[in-house]
Amino acid sequence: MGSLYSDHPTWLHGVPAGVKLAVLALLGTGVFYTHALAVLLASTACCVLIFASLGRATLRAKPLLMGLVLASVLIGLFHLYMQQPWVGAVSVLRLLCTALMGMALTLTTRYTDLLRVLEWLLAPLRVLGVQPERLSMQVALMLRFTEHFFVVWRRLDDAHRLRTGKAGGFKILAPLTLHMLMAARRVADTLHVRYRR
Amino acid sequence: MALVSLFAALIAVFGLIPKIDLPLGVPITLQTLGVMLAGCLLGPKRALQALMLFLAAVAIGLPLLSGGRGGVGVFFSPASGYLIGWPVGAWVTGMVMHLLPHATPRGAAISAFLASAVGGLLVVHVFGVVGLVNIANLSWEQAIMGTLVFVPGDLIKCVLCATVVHTVARGLPDWRLGG
Repeated sequence: MGSLYSDHPTWLHGVPAGVKLAVLALLGTGVFYTHALAVLLASTACCVLIFASLGRATLRAKPLLMGLVLASVLIGLFHLYMQQPWVGAVSVLRLLCTALMGMALTLTTRYTDLLRVLEWLLAPLRVLGVQPERLSMQVALMLRFTEHFFVVWRRLDDAHRLRTGKAGGFKILAPLTLHMLMAARRVADTLHVRYRR
Repeated sequence: MALVSLFAALIAVFGLIPKIDLPLGVPITLQTLGVMLAGCLLGPKRALQALMLFLAAVAIGLPLLSGGRGGVGVFFSPASGYLIGWPVGAWVTGMVMHLLPHATPRGAAISAFLASAVGGLLVVHVFGVVGLVNIANLSWEQAIMGTLVFVPGDLIKCVLCATVVHTVARGLPDWRLGG
């Protein structure tokens, strides 16, 4: 399971993950509090420039970018149809601003670095019994089993096709879930024996 | 911990499975079914944890949403209300499942249908509508009309969830449904 991170080096790769996340949080909050079109236009122009400055690194985000453009066009057209062009412009500019910066963060930050920031952010919740260091292990387990369950699903689908000549569709959901629950029991037992948790 | 991680993995797999088109041409992606199943099979607390873990993995850039989407940007899209509603919907589904009777497979299936209709459908759509109003700047009426399009598909998912829970209740009789 590959992440959306791009190995192509850019200036934004050197900025610490925590700083990028903080800027995104501030920007996201800021654009939702302002209705001034000039401010939103200036922010969007900056965000487009920053995103464009990443060059070839943005190629990985092409499908996401297409989705963003489509959503923006649909929202804009809808508000135009409702004769609210100003509301449409504000909505589209906010969406472009935040989504482009979110993509820039994702493209230029390794998921392990973001995990470290998340663990740091969750650290104060330790007093409530939350164990942030478990997050990395849980993400690793999740990724390992995403591939495993996908293989199980394809095997079940193939078996169904051999028997009936048709794709499994909804019919293999129940056996897939049973496989998952039984696998979860085995993994839980193994973890308990190995790590006492 | 294993159950939470593995269920988050199952929700991710539901995103990899190609969408299934209903006879009327309504496409169904399975990830909201994962929200309903998490609540019914794991109970409120672990279902909430599984969905939080899944969304954390999406936020750090893993392309786990249907169509290979991921990253922080998806939390600013018009559909972000639905995403934020998933953990809450899973928690409510688990809570309702926990409170309803599920001693027999048939009773469990009926309870699962009701629980997923309340948590996986109603709660998630309420969050979705709030997201559409705030991010796409739609009026409440427009947002509600927009979300109603997906309700028939989600009702089918409630039936699917009940069918899967029925099979689990028969296949793994010692499994504690609803946590």
